[in-house]
Amino acid sequence: MVLDLTMSMAILALMGALATIAGCLEDLESDVGSQSNPNSQVQLAPQMGFLHRIYNKAISGEPVSNGLSAVTAGTVTVVLLDAKFYPLMAIVMGAFVGAIVLGIFATTSYAGRVASQTRFKQPLYMDIMRYTTPSIIGHNFIVNFCLVSLAYIQYEILAYPFSIPFLALIWGITAGAIGSSVGDVHYGAEREFQNREFGCGLNTSLSGRIVRKAESGLRNSIDNVWFCAKFGGPATGIALGLVVFLSSWPATIMQPKTPADYWKTIIVGLLIVFLLIIGNRLVEYNARKTYGPYKEEKEAAS
Amino acid sequence: MSEIKEIAPNKLVLFGVLGGLLGIYLTYLFPVLGMKIGGNVGGLLKVIAPTFGALGGICAVVWGADAVRRVSKYGLGTGVPSIGQIAMGMGIVASMFGIAIMAKFPLAGPVVSLVTASIIGLIIGWFAQNVIKMKIPVMVRGMTEIAAAGSLIILGFGVAVAGNFQFETFVKMVFDDGLILAVFWIGAVAILHPFNATLGPDEKQKRTTYLAFSTGAITMTIIGIGAIMTLGLSGAITMMLGIILWVIYYKKFWDEVYKDASSVLGTGLIPKTEA
Repeated sequence: MVLDLTMSMAILALMGALATIAGCLEDLESDVGSQSNPNSQVQLAPQMGFLHRIYNKAISGEPVSNGLSAVTAGTVTVVLLDAKFYPLMAIVMGAFVGAIVLGIFATTSYAGRVASQTRFKQPLYMDIMRYTTPSIIGHNFIVNFCLVSLAYIQYEILAYPFSIPFLALIWGITAGAIGSSVGDVHYGAEREFQNREFGCGLNTSLSGRIVRKAESGLRNSIDNVWFCAKFGGPATGIALGLVVFLSSWPATIMQPKTPADYWKTIIVGLLIVFLLIIGNRLVEYNARKTYGPYKEEKEAAS
Repeated sequence: MSEIKEIAPNKLVLFGVLGGLLGIYLTYLFPVLGMKIGGNVGGLLKVIAPTFGALGGICAVVWGADAVRRVSKYGLGTGVPSIGQIAMGMGIVASMFGIAIMAKFPLAGPVVSLVTASIIGLIIGWFAQNVIKMKIPVMVRGMTEIAAAGSLIILGFGVAVAGNFQFETFVKMVFDDGLILAVFWIGAVAILHPFNATLGPDEKQKRTTYLAFSTGAITMTIIGIGAIMTLGLSGAITMMLGIILWVIYYKKFWDEVYKDASSVLGTGLIPKTEA
């Protein structure tokens, strides 16, 4: 399908918005279950005598588990589209099946990991299982819906030569990788060690000593997602949204047709990367000046 | 851990290889038999044939999950998912090579794939052990087994979608519509998840194996949904059987969890410990 400039900008904006929502919800979904980076401390805590009421969703790393739910959603969507379902309906049903499959994997990982910690007396709390798993499924449903919609737009409107399950899988892995690198810090380093000084770094002696009490009562995974929804999730969303937007923007705005145009597009893309590198370096420099260097000895003593 | 009797690795290798190959070859044998017998029974044999490919795939998943378990026990925490991915990576290369090179004699395809995968796994295992120096005693054997299981998973579930293991049909029905991604990724999670989800000092083989059956059945169900698009009724049968198997083994896994867990509470405060 050939699109004019306005229409392609509209499609690009829609894709950016879908990616932003997907990225945000992906990070929150991983926080509900303490997946990936924060998981190691949740797993370690009972070993250090810190029993807790936090979900342990060790399906696999975030890229792999999100790839799993997205490719399942994409596959079901393709089958339904083949059966002449209305596209929106097909995507919603596909996303639902993908989310249910992820939910099943989440239950087996929580039950399995807790049952493998018998010697530390970590109990398996069934109420945590009952009200956290639907939250995981709900978050993941929105992620799947956005990612398969992205794949559908690319396949159907932008005429990419790849199939929908393939594009959905790539988006799932991307969302998982960005959620793992951007949002997890907010949960793993901050929320779990909220009672330590900000930016103190994780000393080995603190391993497993996670915060287990909430504002009222005992902390659970829903409290954690409430905290992460304030900053970690949206930051992840913006990161994924910008990746989608900035990587497609030069080609959309230039509408390249001749070899000279292609080169111009590539140069604009490189310019964006260059500006981002400078921006990142400035942020890093500023953070080091404000918070660093680590005060190792003092932290261990206090 | 040592007082509990475990299933010997060799038995699981036999289960995986024989079960996997049997399933894959039955998808070839049943339509031939069906043609000979004819009538309703013949037709039925033809329809249910692809389902056996998926059942063979489940055998390979159980074997692969146990191989992952044996290698990962040497302290591969975050490396468990990577092992699952490398298994399918080696498996897909080997199985495609096997059925492509044997395009003239399709019957030899799966065996050639299995052998190729074992050789690739052996080389990668040797590299991991002697060049990267990972110092895991079972690395070479484990990698060989994982790669071989990966190739049988790709072929087994692929056959359930394509209906047979001829290279041309395989490419048209499994690759062109993107279903290979489902086979590849969900198959990888199926063999990496069982050990990753039961990781811990009190991990037990029985529980991990039941979980492997359950994840294999989930793969079978989703592949069945995909196969509805390519094969119609056969896909629906694969899906239904997958759901039934999943219910059985998910229940068995939970029974083991209730038995093994320190305590299963409806709700409650954290028990007192020294910390």
